[in-house]
Amino acid sequence: MIRFSNATFSFKGSAGVSDATFSVDEGEFICIIGPTGAGKTTLLRMIYMDAIPQEGSVEVAGFSSDKIRSKQIALLRRKVGMVFQDFELLDDRSVFENVALPLHVIGMSREDVHSKVDIVLDKLGLTEKSHNLPHQLSGGEQQIVSLARAIVKDPIVVLADEPTGNLDPAASFKILKLLEAIQESGTAVLMATHNYNLVKDRNYRFFEIIKGQVRVSSG
Amino acid sequence: MDKFIYLLMEGYRSLWRAKLSTFSSIVTIGVTLSFVGFGAMATSNLARLANESRTNYTIEVFFTQLTTDSEAQEIMNEIISMDGVREGVLITKQEAAEIYQKVFDENIYDFLDRNPLPTSCEIKLEESGLEPAEIEPVVKAIEAMDRVEKVSYPAKAITLIENYFQGILSVVALISMAILMGTTVLVSNTIRLTIYSRKDLIRILKLVGATDQFVKIPFIVEGIIVGIAGGVLSSLLTYLFIRTANSFLKFFTLPQLIWDWRVIILLLLVVVLFSILGSRKAVKKLLT
Repeated sequence: MIRFSNATFSFKGSAGVSDATFSVDEGEFICIIGPTGAGKTTLLRMIYMDAIPQEGSVEVAGFSSDKIRSKQIALLRRKVGMVFQDFELLDDRSVFENVALPLHVIGMSREDVHSKVDIVLDKLGLTEKSHNLPHQLSGGEQQIVSLARAIVKDPIVVLADEPTGNLDPAASFKILKLLEAIQESGTAVLMATHNYNLVKDRNYRFFEIIKGQVRVSSG
Repeated sequence: MDKFIYLLMEGYRSLWRAKLSTFSSIVTIGVTLSFVGFGAMATSNLARLANESRTNYTIEVFFTQLTTDSEAQEIMNEIISMDGVREGVLITKQEAAEIYQKVFDENIYDFLDRNPLPTSCEIKLEESGLEPAEIEPVVKAIEAMDRVEKVSYPAKAITLIENYFQGILSVVALISMAILMGTTVLVSNTIRLTIYSRKDLIRILKLVGATDQFVKIPFIVEGIIVGIAGGVLSSLLTYLFIRTANSFLKFFTLPQLIWDWRVIILLLLVVVLFSILGSRKAVKKLLT
């Protein structure tokens, strides 16, 4: 589903990703660990084709970085859910509207948007907060909204970039459990974190990245 | 369809979020465009007055003494079939004598044993809209005809009216173009500011898989709404201008200005076109 073949993306003053070769299958849970600035975010950006490799190639869900055109990048991103450390929610829109955004983008009808968002909010325990604005929620709740937005379009993979970076330990653990539930439902998850203590006892496949060099281990 | 409605609503909502800058843009566009409205309305009224004058332009054609009335009728028919000629009235020798009696209160046969007045005809031109009346070619063509003795027309007066009208038309057209260009820049700047303030939305939309079109359309919609609102405001100001001007003109018994809906519809269409250009310019510069 995801294949890196000697992929390199480098930029001035940062490690980037160097000569990465690995693959990820459907429904896998991958934990990318490494210190800040090691290249974790760049690796994820290469998957959603925000960073096209200068050497080698990246293939995701049939789209190859060698041949992909800008219109196809939009289509690829509809198959990829993304979660960020700072949530990336729209402050002036309710929880419901934030979660519904990817469905409007793919042109789903209003009725379908409503039922789909209601199901996801119910699954993640956010139904009562659906009319709230993001600033009326705790950090943990905002990250759950971000997760809801990532999974509402039934992606093949969820990319989580330091999803627990701004959360307290209890909220971090909750997010981790939700990501595991998403993976158990058949969606692959790639989570980048510098907090090794949070994930060291989990039964994940680990990618360690240091100064852009990716080392695949079994965890 | 749902997607289209969503995009329209996004455009509207985005404007509503930036109420103050939207309002100031609409007022600025409305006030500046009202000058285009005044100019267009004044030109439309001037064109009406000029056309009324043109319909009264009369070319008098005098035939040679030996031309019979039936020959004169044939020549006049030929003149009427020319481009730019609307109608003609034949004045026979007998009718000319009657006119002479009416004007001078004297019978020409009282002091001459024959009627020396020639058969003639009066030719009127077609309305030419905003174009100057093409009188010279018509006169030259008539003068070149057989049995035409003399062609008489008020050349100086016609030249004065046409030059005056064409001069005003050129000035109004220049000012209007400058203002419309300004409108494009204003709309473009408004949309540019909106785009800057919505950077977060644009980034998130792109991350969740929005195409460039999906991101751009709401901003184009915003530009059109700002343009239409500015156009409507300028129409209202133009209407007030006409009413105020008419209340002054009434005192001087000058012709009243007439409200012309076609001018307003044209103005709105042009404004929408320039708004689309303005917002496309901003979107192209910042979103590609």
